[in-house]
Amino acid sequence: MTWESVLPNALAGDAPRAAETPMDSDAFAGFYERSARPLWAYLARVSGDPSLADDLMQESFVRFLYASRPASHFAEGEVAGRRYLFRIATNLLRDHWRRPKVSSIEEAPQEFLAASASSVRADSQAILGPVLTLMRPRERELLWLAHAEGYTHKEIAEVTGLASASIRLLLFRARRKIARLLLEQDEKCGRQS
Amino acid sequence: MMLSPCKRELEVAELLAQGGWPNACAPELRAHVSTCRRCDELILVTLAFKKDRLEAIGVPTVASPGALWWRAQLRRRNEAVERVGKPILGAQIFALTTYVLIAIAFLAFQARNGIGWLTWLEEFPQVHALHLEALWPSAFLSSGWTLLLLIPLLATAALLSGVALYLASEKGIGSRE
Repeated sequence: MTWESVLPNALAGDAPRAAETPMDSDAFAGFYERSARPLWAYLARVSGDPSLADDLMQESFVRFLYASRPASHFAEGEVAGRRYLFRIATNLLRDHWRRPKVSSIEEAPQEFLAASASSVRADSQAILGPVLTLMRPRERELLWLAHAEGYTHKEIAEVTGLASASIRLLLFRARRKIARLLLEQDEKCGRQS
Repeated sequence: MMLSPCKRELEVAELLAQGGWPNACAPELRAHVSTCRRCDELILVTLAFKKDRLEAIGVPTVASPGALWWRAQLRRRNEAVERVGKPILGAQIFALTTYVLIAIAFLAFQARNGIGWLTWLEEFPQVHALHLEALWPSAFLSSGWTLLLLIPLLATAALLSGVALYLASEKGIGSRE
């Protein structure tokens, strides 16, 4: 028995999985077209690194397609599929933060984020850019998902893996903090002009 | 920090989601917002994030979906190859174990009949030194032809299983590359 004779059988074993997914390459192209940019924006703003966002976005889509049960996520509609995609991206981002010297996303030094934020500032002249660098990565995740993507607390819990009950308090604190920073930034800009 | 819920927060959030702030906002709700810190923060933060999102999604030049689709298919195929490789690895381990067991059995057999070998070895230089018959050990002759057949058989089995293991491993490495 050769490998070549065994391999088609093994690949045929994938057939039910492939058949159950309603997404073919054309459907994926449409989904990608609609989801890639919002996902990139999320990754770029939370990580503060556009090139990292490029890499993680591509990896997120590959993992999305490679996922063991893409059908179950996509059967609920594109919104659920996108939520699943954001979840993959969030996990990849956390894996990335865990990999270097820092041991957890919460311990990531804010100086590191601030240092790499100059490119973001170059991309966007928005007032939010500099303020985001002063937030913790998890706070950025929550704020972006809630206010930029418009996700509910339950959906944010699904994406981030946090308990739904704690999202409310975490989001409340993060929003209060960023609101204060935004007002300070606004005042600073007002004084300069 | 105390959570001070506002009953109208949901209303404001819906208005923001629909893009109705401030134009489609009722004067009464606007008056509430001016006095409610929580709703005011919600509007400030949401508008800032929406604006930033609009700017950010215009920035990237996204890769071709076809390339990603292809990468995912390739990864899936590699996984299938790996799945196939697992039983083959199992077969290799089984073959090696069988070979080791045969070797142990052979050694055990030899240990039981070892006295004959030792006797032959001791007698060899003295008694049969210059005779062709000396090449035939007495232990062989005493235990008949069984041992004479067993040794080449085991040697052939060992050689063939070694070759089989080598070929299987080579094929496995080649297909993974």
